[in-house]
Amino acid sequence: MIEDKDRKADPNWAWAVYEPDARRPWTGTLAAHLYRRAGFGANWQQLQQAVAEGPQATVSHLLAPGSDVEAFDRTYDGYEGGVGSVNGLRAWWLRRMIETPHPLQEKMTLFWHGHFATNGAALKQTRLMREHLQLLRRHALGSFAFLLQALARDPALLLWLGADANRKAAPNENFARPLMETFTLGPGHFSDDDVREAARAFAGWFVLRDRLRYLPREHDAGTKHILGQAGEFTGEDVIRIVLEQPATPRTLVRKLYRWFICETDEPGEDLTAPLAESLAADYSISAVVETILRSNLFFSSYAYRQRVKSPVEFAVGVIHALEGMVSTTQLGRDVAGLGQDLGHPPTVKGWPDGRYWIDSIMLTRRHNLAWALLQGGDPYGDKLDSWKVAQRHGYADAESAAQFLLELFLQDDLDPDVREMLRRNVREDAHTDSAAALDRLTYAAVTLPEYHLA
Amino acid sequence: MSIKTGFISGLVLLFFVLNLPASAQELPPAKCIPQDALICLHLSQPKALLELLAGAEMTEAITSLPLYQQQSSSPKFREFVNTIRFLETSLGTDWRTGLAQLTGGGITVAICPNDTVVAIVDAEDQSLLERLHEIFLSIARAEAAKQGHADRIASKEYDGVTAWTFDGNEAHAIIGKRLILANRAEALKTVLDLRAQKEGATLADSAAYEAAQRAAQAEAVATVFMNLEPFTNLPPVAEVLEKSRNNPLAALFFAGIAESFRSSHWLSVGLDIEGRTLTLDALTDGKVSGETSPAAFALPHKAGDGARPNLSVPRRIAALSLYRDLHDFYAAKDELFPERTSGLIFFENMMGIFFTGRDLTSEVLAETEPEVRLVVAEQQYDPEVGTPQVRLPAFAVILRLRDPEQFGRVAEEAWQKAVGLINFTRGQQALPGLIIDRPAHGQTKFTMAYFSTTDVEDKTKLETRFNVRPALAMPGDYLVLSSTDGLACDLIDALGQGGGAKQAPLAQTHSLLEVDGTQLASVLRANRESMVRQDMVKKGKTKAEAEAGIDLLITVVECIDGAKLDIGTRDGLMAVKLQAQLNLPHP
Repeated sequence: MIEDKDRKADPNWAWAVYEPDARRPWTGTLAAHLYRRAGFGANWQQLQQAVAEGPQATVSHLLAPGSDVEAFDRTYDGYEGGVGSVNGLRAWWLRRMIETPHPLQEKMTLFWHGHFATNGAALKQTRLMREHLQLLRRHALGSFAFLLQALARDPALLLWLGADANRKAAPNENFARPLMETFTLGPGHFSDDDVREAARAFAGWFVLRDRLRYLPREHDAGTKHILGQAGEFTGEDVIRIVLEQPATPRTLVRKLYRWFICETDEPGEDLTAPLAESLAADYSISAVVETILRSNLFFSSYAYRQRVKSPVEFAVGVIHALEGMVSTTQLGRDVAGLGQDLGHPPTVKGWPDGRYWIDSIMLTRRHNLAWALLQGGDPYGDKLDSWKVAQRHGYADAESAAQFLLELFLQDDLDPDVREMLRRNVREDAHTDSAAALDRLTYAAVTLPEYHLA
Repeated sequence: MSIKTGFISGLVLLFFVLNLPASAQELPPAKCIPQDALICLHLSQPKALLELLAGAEMTEAITSLPLYQQQSSSPKFREFVNTIRFLETSLGTDWRTGLAQLTGGGITVAICPNDTVVAIVDAEDQSLLERLHEIFLSIARAEAAKQGHADRIASKEYDGVTAWTFDGNEAHAIIGKRLILANRAEALKTVLDLRAQKEGATLADSAAYEAAQRAAQAEAVATVFMNLEPFTNLPPVAEVLEKSRNNPLAALFFAGIAESFRSSHWLSVGLDIEGRTLTLDALTDGKVSGETSPAAFALPHKAGDGARPNLSVPRRIAALSLYRDLHDFYAAKDELFPERTSGLIFFENMMGIFFTGRDLTSEVLAETEPEVRLVVAEQQYDPEVGTPQVRLPAFAVILRLRDPEQFGRVAEEAWQKAVGLINFTRGQQALPGLIIDRPAHGQTKFTMAYFSTTDVEDKTKLETRFNVRPALAMPGDYLVLSSTDGLACDLIDALGQGGGAKQAPLAQTHSLLEVDGTQLASVLRANRESMVRQDMVKKGKTKAEAEAGIDLLITVVECIDGAKLDIGTRDGLMAVKLQAQLNLPHP
């Protein structure tokens, strides 16, 4: 792992492509790190393949896994078609995260769900939330400009924000304000006048009986003054203007930095400037994400285990690693109990993330969920089997299976004494019931502090 | 445990599960079962059951299942088949004949306190039984040798009988044609003591068992005796029985059943097989008769009274006919469900609004005869109107009015108020409302309401609400409240064609439920995709697993042509009769 403290602030070094060498070898540890950030963790096959192919080929594969993604998404879109509740969509989304051939796309869909934070409780029709999530997924790694233009016409977002009626006589600021404050510029980069004028530009757009409608007589065709520009602007012009502001790419890059690299300290302007410039050029999300994932900084100690796993990352990671599938209806409820109710972000600013995920109650709940997933009884049944997974990959005895599971879940991040204690427990218990002993080992592994860090 | 050992143990257990008349020198099985047995199953004609379960038709039905075909190629299944073949070769008979000879004398299984299970199997062929036992001993020894440890087979003489164990836990003995098996040695010893008529009371000496035997049909293929007292005191059972006190609908539908169980000491169930018809007859000794009984509203007052036969409509899935005096039911509400829940208060308030302040008990429910019928039927959809993605069955409640001339208008007004309230509430949420119409079917004019699909682009995948087109019809003396206009029309026809008051009541039957398996399977098939998806996310199954599970369910339902559950009273005791007509393919 790269540990050069002096070079962290150097953007040339930070964003240069990581090349493994003797001092910074490419190992399962870094491969698992890449999969935790660009997905929801790796299973054994992914881990082995990543180690064999090297970092850059693995990143390429994560960015463009191949043609089966389209078929997979089409199948899942079909499954979601008959769903009658947001909680039903939540169950299918969790299943999609576990099974997807394109984990980075789902990870970015989750990122945008937190960014645009639309709460399904405000919607009468499940269809709107389904279309909203599909829109986020479609543009998750595409153009932020397209994504923003599409969301400005998205009934789900407009209804959630209370921006479903915008009349010339009383412009509704409920979309224009979060657009500037949360979605793009960030606080301090616009004035109340900018918001008022932008709201005028969006006048005429309504969501009537859950359908987006444009009523020309309600549009304000007059001249507006927005962020230093004047003209007879429409909503599309407002989007163009906010995207032209340097603050927009800077805000987004800071958020992506926090999502992919580190949430324990804020990056300096100089460090993120190259990424912001790249994003401002064409608003290609995948280009910025690619730069981040291939970089020295991403594979450095500044990034390694520097994020707290969200409840979704925690739960999906365990299930995906054990190559199983559980009731995602139940999982949706349990993950909501851990503070991350998909489809229902708590505020327009999304989930607070970071250390807010963990407190004594939530930690206990995480442990309970891990035990519920592994113990073989209700409500998840015996869908996850550590012993079978180990055997599938050629680890035929309990001792080697224990080593395999520790490598799968924690790689080198385990104190040698703890590692030995865990293996000793398995040695002592395995002669009575190997499967139970290994499930207990998995439980111990995924409830260690190290596992809660991404 | 290997497949072979598991199969052998299973077969041994199966012996316990089937029985024939005791051989001349042996006592009847009940005289060897301890008196404290909680449940005792006695199969007096195992061959009849074997003929049905292992007959050509059932074999055809099972082997044609996709799940069977899928499993039959698995290594475990092949190992199982090889074990059967090995036994057939060793015993010189096919498995069906062998099983019939090994169990043809009857099977008795008793569950006693402290998780003790005792089984008595009477074979027809003593030599076959002894040869099989020898084979099991050889297999157990060979398995132990294969695993490199000494076998745990042991035998001991007790009271002139050799008692055996394969694994140190189970214990068994062969006495002539009889095999006695227990899951622990102490239980076998108790049975041998009872057989030797030493100390201890037997089940046959119990007054409850005697009473249950007298009540059961003598010619039954199988009987089950259950000592109810320990069960009704179990917290989960007590909770279920208590539920009817808190839930008005449970009190209405399960009238008499909970009351009977609360005061019963025993339950007797008899199984009869005639051709493709299985009949289960259940009786308890709990009294439910008398005008002071809380369930009196469900007890026919005169000898010839009872529920009417069910109404027959096209595509019927299920029908329920109840003898219920709704006036008496609601008048006794303080006794039946004393808790004034918020739901009950809301219900009464709404009824007050719908019926313009009329007293629900004496001015509304008193207008109905003690005749309540429900019908559930598969829907047909007009493609011009549209088809919902999830297709729900239609259902209807049919009541008979005492004075339809006078009460018809009151009911019509209440119904229209309810539709108006639904529309108002939906309107507040900016949701589309119902459009009321007054069409006619034959001579009967009725009221219906529907959601318009005019603005819906894709009419092949409508929302679930489009399953509902509520209707109110009043043909003759009857009031039909249906979830769809289609079913309302079918019921108007059924009531006009002699399905109404002309049908003689079923004496002393207070509840009659009928289910049509073929039609139910048709609904399941129509919703197969939705159910598969539900299983995937609710149970974490793969698509293939979910499809196999749902297809198995559909096949099983298809195997039941029809089922009929008749609940009533016989000599003041609760009597339940369940009849199932099997629909097996011809081989």
